[in-house]
Amino acid sequence: MKLLAVATLLPPLLLAPLARAADAVPRLEGFWTQSFAPGPEVEQLRAKLPAGTLVINDAGGLELREGDYGGLVLSEAAKAEIRNYDFKNELSREFACTVPSVVMNMQAPFPLEILQDEKLIVLRLEYFDMVRIIHLDGRGHPPADAPHSKAGHSIGHWEGDELVVDTTHLLAGSFLNNGFSHSEDLHFVERFRLGADGRTLHASQLSEDPAVFEGKAARLVSWRKGDDYIYPYECDPSFAEVGEPLE
Amino acid sequence: MRLVLPILRSCQLMAVLLLAASAPGVMAHHSFAVHFVDDRVIDVSGTVTAFRFANPHGMLAFDVRKEDGSVEHWRAETNSPNVLRRRGWSKDSLQPGDSITVTGFPSRDGTPYMRISRVKFADGRELVGQGMAAPADDKE
Repeated sequence: MKLLAVATLLPPLLLAPLARAADAVPRLEGFWTQSFAPGPEVEQLRAKLPAGTLVINDAGGLELREGDYGGLVLSEAAKAEIRNYDFKNELSREFACTVPSVVMNMQAPFPLEILQDEKLIVLRLEYFDMVRIIHLDGRGHPPADAPHSKAGHSIGHWEGDELVVDTTHLLAGSFLNNGFSHSEDLHFVERFRLGADGRTLHASQLSEDPAVFEGKAARLVSWRKGDDYIYPYECDPSFAEVGEPLE
Repeated sequence: MRLVLPILRSCQLMAVLLLAASAPGVMAHHSFAVHFVDDRVIDVSGTVTAFRFANPHGMLAFDVRKEDGSVEHWRAETNSPNVLRRRGWSKDSLQPGDSITVTGFPSRDGTPYMRISRVKFADGRELVGQGMAAPADDKE
């Protein structure tokens, strides 16, 4: 009988340390929609950006116009690429559904859902149906020549109450949605922090890409918790052809 | 041979540089601020001919009868249907034959094309699209 009692108690006792470990970090899971009333947490994140970081104020609905790069000092290669950029192609069947890289996607005004485990966090982004896997198991990034993608390869760790996510292996993609793109060498570091009431989430998004701009640049983004769910995006590249004039 | 190799290498380098210079760049999903006048809206009245409600943008086609009797074909895109579904829009929100007035941000190139801010029907109903101040949940 004593043996049975011990056997019954054993699993919870064994699981207890794991449960405590999981409980020890903030719970970010849930449905989040972008917020435009940043709290004091945003200023805390701003203060942690490296000295000299240029904060670009174009998150959400604030797009920069053609020729406005938010104060970034562009490389000659980036300027050459911009000169050859044709905005008319953006509406073509070929490019209308170009998936933005995670750098654009994480500031876009669409919801995201977070699923959280001790060694893995999944971010389901509604915009272009992107799914991000954040590895928290201590692994590193793959070799530099490993395949790149629009979501990139992300590893994360906790620093106190903040989740730090380091992303590399990104395919080149738009950086400002106005003809200026980042390269495949972009290094993207995010710090996520819950608001005091647990109903808001804030992030700094630090980018470094010496091939196309000098120094470091960052966006500051906030979300509020909601009770909705992620809709499918299912981009249709033929959208622009409705009512299109015949050639 | 010693002369040929450096020349070949120079040619290869030149070819790479020329390719880089003529590369079309990494295309992106299209920008609102680049394509549309973002601080002014116009009103255009007409009759719906087609409507498709799919990401990345819904697309409305409508005909406008001008004073001289000719018809001008207009097109107007919405922001993302995902955003608009949460405001009550659906694929059936606009039907061919509907008489409408579209308020929207005009195309920068002057073509009969706009981004929808709102659609008003003859019976007074309204559909709300992108906000005038381009609030952040409206860009896409």
